[in-house]
Amino acid sequence: MADQLTGTKPQVIEPKGMGPGFWPVMIALTVVNLVIAYIILFTPLDWLLPAEWNPVADRAADIDLLFKFMGVFGLAILVYVTGFVFYAAFAFRRRPEEPANSVGVHLHDLPKLEFWWTVIPTILLTVLVALTIQIWHRIQFGTAASALTTEVIAHQFNFEIRYPGWQGSVFTPPDEMHLPVGKPVRLLITSGDVIHQYWVPEFRLKAAAVPGLVQNLNFMPTRTGTFDIACSEYCGINHSKMQGKVVVESPQAFEKWLAGAKAHVRTGPVAVAKGDAGAGKALFAQKCAVCHAMGPFDQKIVGPGLLKITDDPKHPKLVDGKPPTPANIANILQNGYTGPIGAMPNRQANGLSDKDIANLVSYLVSLK
Amino acid sequence: MHATPVVHTDHSDHIHPPPEGFIRKYVFSTDHKVIAFQYLAVGIFFLMIAGSFAELIRVQLWNPKGTFLSFSTYNEMFTMHGTVGVWLVVIPLVTGALGNFIMPLQIGARDVAFPWLNMLSFWLFPVAGLILFSSFIFGLPSAGWTEYPPISLQYVGTAFWCLAIITIGISSTLTGLNFTATVVKMRAPGMTWTRMPLFTWATFATALVNMIATVALSAALLALFLDTVFHVPFFEADKGGAPVMYQHMFWFYSHPAVYIFILPAFGVISEVLPVFCRRTIFGYKMIAFSSLAIAILGFAVWAHHMFPSGIAPWLQLPFMIVTYAIGIPTGLKVFSWLATLWGGRIQFSTPMLYALAFLITFTFGGITGIFLAAVPADLHEHGSYFVVGHFHYVVAGGSVIGFLAAVTFWFPKATGRMLHEGLGKLGFWLFVIGLTGTFLPMHWLGLEGLPRRYASYEYFLARYPDVVFWNRVETVSSFFMAASVAILVINMIWSIRRGRASGINPWGARTLEWTISSPPPYYNFKKIPTVFGRPYDYSEPLPYRNLDNDVDAYPAPMPAPRPNPSLGGR
Repeated sequence: MADQLTGTKPQVIEPKGMGPGFWPVMIALTVVNLVIAYIILFTPLDWLLPAEWNPVADRAADIDLLFKFMGVFGLAILVYVTGFVFYAAFAFRRRPEEPANSVGVHLHDLPKLEFWWTVIPTILLTVLVALTIQIWHRIQFGTAASALTTEVIAHQFNFEIRYPGWQGSVFTPPDEMHLPVGKPVRLLITSGDVIHQYWVPEFRLKAAAVPGLVQNLNFMPTRTGTFDIACSEYCGINHSKMQGKVVVESPQAFEKWLAGAKAHVRTGPVAVAKGDAGAGKALFAQKCAVCHAMGPFDQKIVGPGLLKITDDPKHPKLVDGKPPTPANIANILQNGYTGPIGAMPNRQANGLSDKDIANLVSYLVSLK
Repeated sequence: MHATPVVHTDHSDHIHPPPEGFIRKYVFSTDHKVIAFQYLAVGIFFLMIAGSFAELIRVQLWNPKGTFLSFSTYNEMFTMHGTVGVWLVVIPLVTGALGNFIMPLQIGARDVAFPWLNMLSFWLFPVAGLILFSSFIFGLPSAGWTEYPPISLQYVGTAFWCLAIITIGISSTLTGLNFTATVVKMRAPGMTWTRMPLFTWATFATALVNMIATVALSAALLALFLDTVFHVPFFEADKGGAPVMYQHMFWFYSHPAVYIFILPAFGVISEVLPVFCRRTIFGYKMIAFSSLAIAILGFAVWAHHMFPSGIAPWLQLPFMIVTYAIGIPTGLKVFSWLATLWGGRIQFSTPMLYALAFLITFTFGGITGIFLAAVPADLHEHGSYFVVGHFHYVVAGGSVIGFLAAVTFWFPKATGRMLHEGLGKLGFWLFVIGLTGTFLPMHWLGLEGLPRRYASYEYFLARYPDVVFWNRVETVSSFFMAASVAILVINMIWSIRRGRASGINPWGARTLEWTISSPPPYYNFKKIPTVFGRPYDYSEPLPYRNLDNDVDAYPAPMPAPRPNPSLGGR
């Protein structure tokens, strides 16, 4: 059965040339592509990329150039493909009057064509690789060494910003992030809990805030204004409410703001005399005991043991070199400290109120 | 001893009788066709669930404040939409359902290499679904389908998620093993590698990826499970763990996984186009080998999901370059398909409409993929709605459209009935309009600064007031897609009962499955056919001998039904 198949040979219908109207259609698609390229390259694209026409960071124009390169060639390919599908569907449609077994052209390979449609995309992608690596290099290493280091510590669900304070310490300003225009900035980004992402769309700048890892970004704001910071890595129930602002202002305004912010944080030293040592003891167990033992100075966990801190000949100075008076202890609890010997988080990181600080100091002083 | 070896030429004595009884026939069946139907039914069930979750997400985003669902429920919904969509819908449908039904028939085999293992693979699939959904007692997983630690460690649902995905992973690995063995060992005599149908080529490449990549995922998820339940700190930085390590392990599987989604769809398009262009496929070898090239290169691109995530900067470059390079074999395929259209006699059946739409939507998804591969540009696009738009253009505009083309193409073979063409075309137009309206606006919303996974976009409203309009367009459009799926299900149920009889070969196709009766008998091929050519040369006679049925050497499509005057012109 069925060892020799039989049937009538079908009628092959060959197209004439490239097919009816092929070249006019291709010319029309080329015109469309030229118009698209003109729009991408020579008109403002702010409707697609925020602040494209008037970039606000040194890296933004570079990244947008890459984006436009891919846009021009990528959309050209898409337009030709889409146009050809519609063209072919119309030009090579089966007519109702054709015999039932009519077939199309028997063309299964065209080595020259296949060679070119392998080589041309390869060349395009090689150019893209060269362009991308160049831009990548500029973004990674192109910003001059920075005068200002700003730390971003992401928490569920806010961005804590820290600036350098006195003697190597850092402090958190009471309001949003400020940056001076035209000055290179070094951002150190990390997280206090889960993974977040620090994204400023106008800067074209994004880095994950990963616990246990500090990401280092150099860039320079080039225009003043207030811009959004958004968390773009899912970080928990209020992920969609995790935003911040960054204010870019003139260097003079920035210095003024920084001095004001420092002063604000420094004003009104905590009235340590009014503390309650009992409440301080409970708070110590809860907040401090992870890193500090209530034992002799050399009983180190992360930081030193704190027994008799105000009255121990073995360590006459605090970590910042000052004598261990109640006011100086309160200052470290308040503002934190980062230096060659060690680091101590500030009150924001530890979640300490004025009252908490007073209680803790009373407790530490009471252990004479 | 006899000097002459015994050569088996007649395989008819190897046919086992079909199983008896409902349980052996339809429940614990080892027949690849029944298993394919089981995958199809369970897969479409989960498709409707994942789709419902998507609609809840879309309704939430109707208003910028997002008050329809609580934030925690919203987070559960997008997590479950992604998880169910990836592991319980797309992978089972394109490998389990399509691969199981089509591949053994295309190579002239009576079943897969290990039928019992195939049954086990299937039954692990609903079990995985049960494990995943049983977590609702404690709270569904809600850290996104990627379940990055440390955030995922805060939810009990993560433990169930890990167990469910490990289970479905075992199923995938076994299917990959099974299909690899089947394609390597069970092709009909004369079917050399370069005579294999292109869907089988794609299934073979997919099976290799499934077999190799899935194991890495299981390792990652086992570690995540131990971390969630027993607090073994693999991924907790404050206890010495490495959160980024999880991402490497996760994407080592999950990038190849998108090729598991898309390669079978490539195979479907390569089968559907020549049939409805009525001409040979252009560039057979390029299409076949590019599947393998994509599968292999696909293993070396995973970190392109992690450019801003905290990897060494120089490491970004090799992953970017390999990702660009994947564009070359993918481009070859698209160009070969376009050339197949050239000089054809194109018939606009429903599967062909899906195939034509695929060429456009998939190309768009591929091009936005290049945008994401470029490291500097990705530093803007990562984690935004641009990614959501790109991904859905590839999955809905690629895998799902490929799947819909396959269902409408092979339905007559599987059931012996034609689908209703009118309903099929209505479903097609609803799907492509819905797809465009839902996923296209996401691209510019993302570029303008809208991060993904936001339960409320009040923040973005101040930047970009049009966001409400576009989100509402997306929500309305998404219901078009839902309607399309509903119409497909109705069409299938109606057509199984009332559809026109299809006969052996309604489309005039030339691969081996179209030479046996519809639906195929239990043993598929009473005699194993001999193959002496590629299946796509329409102007040549069929390259087969020893077929079970008398078929025309030059198959032609079944004529369209003529209006019947006795039914008032219908």
